[in-house]
Amino acid sequence: MVTLATPAEATQPGPAGHGQDGLPDFTSDTYKDAYSRINAIVIEGEQEAHDNYVAIGSLIPDQAEELTRLARMELKHMKGFTACANNLGVTADMPFAKEFFSPLHGNFQNALAAGKVTTCLLIQAILIEAFAISAYHIYIPVADPFARKITEGVVKDEYTHLNYGQEWLKANLADIREEFEQANRENLPLVRKMLEQVAGDAAELGMDQEDLMADFLSSYQEALMEIGFSNREIAKLAAAALVG
Amino acid sequence: MFGLIGHSTSFEEAKIKARSLGYDDFAEGDLDMWCAAPPQLVETVSVTSPTGKTIEGAYIDSVFVPEMLRRFKTAKRKVLKAMELAQKRGIDITALGGFTSIIFEDMNLLREERVSAVELDWKRFTTGNTHTAWVICQQVVNNAPALGINLATAKVAVVGASGDIGSAVCRWLQRFGVGELLLVARRPQPLVELQESLGEGRILSLDDALPEADVVVWVASLPQSLQIDTASLKRPCLMIDGGYPKNLDTKAAAEGVHVLKGGIVEFWQDIGWQMMEVAEMAKPQRQMFACFAEAMLLDFEAIHTNFSWGRNNITLDTMDRIGEASLRHGFKALALELPAAREAVLTA
Repeated sequence: MVTLATPAEATQPGPAGHGQDGLPDFTSDTYKDAYSRINAIVIEGEQEAHDNYVAIGSLIPDQAEELTRLARMELKHMKGFTACANNLGVTADMPFAKEFFSPLHGNFQNALAAGKVTTCLLIQAILIEAFAISAYHIYIPVADPFARKITEGVVKDEYTHLNYGQEWLKANLADIREEFEQANRENLPLVRKMLEQVAGDAAELGMDQEDLMADFLSSYQEALMEIGFSNREIAKLAAAALVG
Repeated sequence: MFGLIGHSTSFEEAKIKARSLGYDDFAEGDLDMWCAAPPQLVETVSVTSPTGKTIEGAYIDSVFVPEMLRRFKTAKRKVLKAMELAQKRGIDITALGGFTSIIFEDMNLLREERVSAVELDWKRFTTGNTHTAWVICQQVVNNAPALGINLATAKVAVVGASGDIGSAVCRWLQRFGVGELLLVARRPQPLVELQESLGEGRILSLDDALPEADVVVWVASLPQSLQIDTASLKRPCLMIDGGYPKNLDTKAAAEGVHVLKGGIVEFWQDIGWQMMEVAEMAKPQRQMFACFAEAMLLDFEAIHTNFSWGRNNITLDTMDRIGEASLRHGFKALALELPAAREAVLTA
């Protein structure tokens, strides 16, 4: 229909150290340094996911068995990602990761103590899972061959978890709206801040911050749609990530 | 079900629209926020053809604004994400409007693209260019005589002649029979190829073509800096503004020069939607871009396939086919306002 402006960015080379194939140099010190933090976040994320699912089971005892099953999968993932670090000869920076998760961790623990199932599910089964799925998808094409295989396997499992949260929230939508909106307001901006914090490291691994955010928000919106929110509600809920 | 993927004409306008629709967070966001924002399904509508057939449709705003063209990767992602949303919502055939169609026209841009986990099914999308080209041709043949222009002897300049729509317009007008086709485009090589395939037409620069033309069909976007020496234009002169955005009326305003918004159609009855209000249509309840109407036509006709895709795949057959459907389902190409046309006839 029209002529496109000069695609200036399309011809720009990738970040320094990236090879002809567009893949990063997995053996460089800068890559390994960035990987030590990103990998730690993933490992910590899987560990917390395990703990969180078990904890949610204490709030909805009739689901405890299913939640324990999901939790066990997260531990398996954790082991897989630990192997990825070993494969590259990297030691994950776990103190960094613990600190990284602490605001979200704190919010989850507060909700748990108050018996707020909706908030707990929003944080773990929707936000974190949607983020993990998007980040893994962005990571897979730029991952080293070993990590790629592991990550592809993990993504399939994470969909089940996202689906679990969606189904519960969908079944209870009439009762949860207010709490969901409040929890969304309090936690969605945290996800963006967490992403901004590691944007430099992610870029070193070949992942673009804007891609990560946009992909996450698409997955999040899709989850909201599945839960049964209206188009307008979805736009408002998602916008909280960008302006909060 | 049909879908339309559109976008606002500018960031400023997008924010005003967001505010009017009640999306305050978007209205207050900056361009970076808009770059990361996901596409939104803004509206669903139900449309009934004079045949009695009713179809359902949805409008998806890609949350793209032309200011993002400088961020090419963002622009591409916006289009792909909007397409992904359309597909996930189960829409059978979706038209890509405005700048989004460019991305779909250039399949090479898409080939390397991976849209998260979703594999896009190209058959569910259309640029809508076949219908746009047909409508522009109708606008030429319906309005030129009203201005006293005899097409059998008229010189018709096509600016952007080697493009997807431009080349289709040339082929159609050749078959219809016009005096002479004046072929204008930025890049010379595709023009030579077009001329060879037509077996006629004269290649000219824009400056040389304009003073010779009785009819000018614009299907290229106009550079901001473009100046048209209106004094050198023929009188009367019919200009069909088929580019995007449609801003020719500000550049070629003069006595005897008749600018008509090209590639716009009017439906036979009002549609209860808000989406066209931002597109500056004179009658937003029933006027729309012909490319959007193509998605409706394909849904009415149950042709759920990528009717228009890539570049230079439009044929006279496909134009005839979509044209017949267009008439059958109550669409009419936008025409010059009658007083202007009548006055022109009187002075001619």
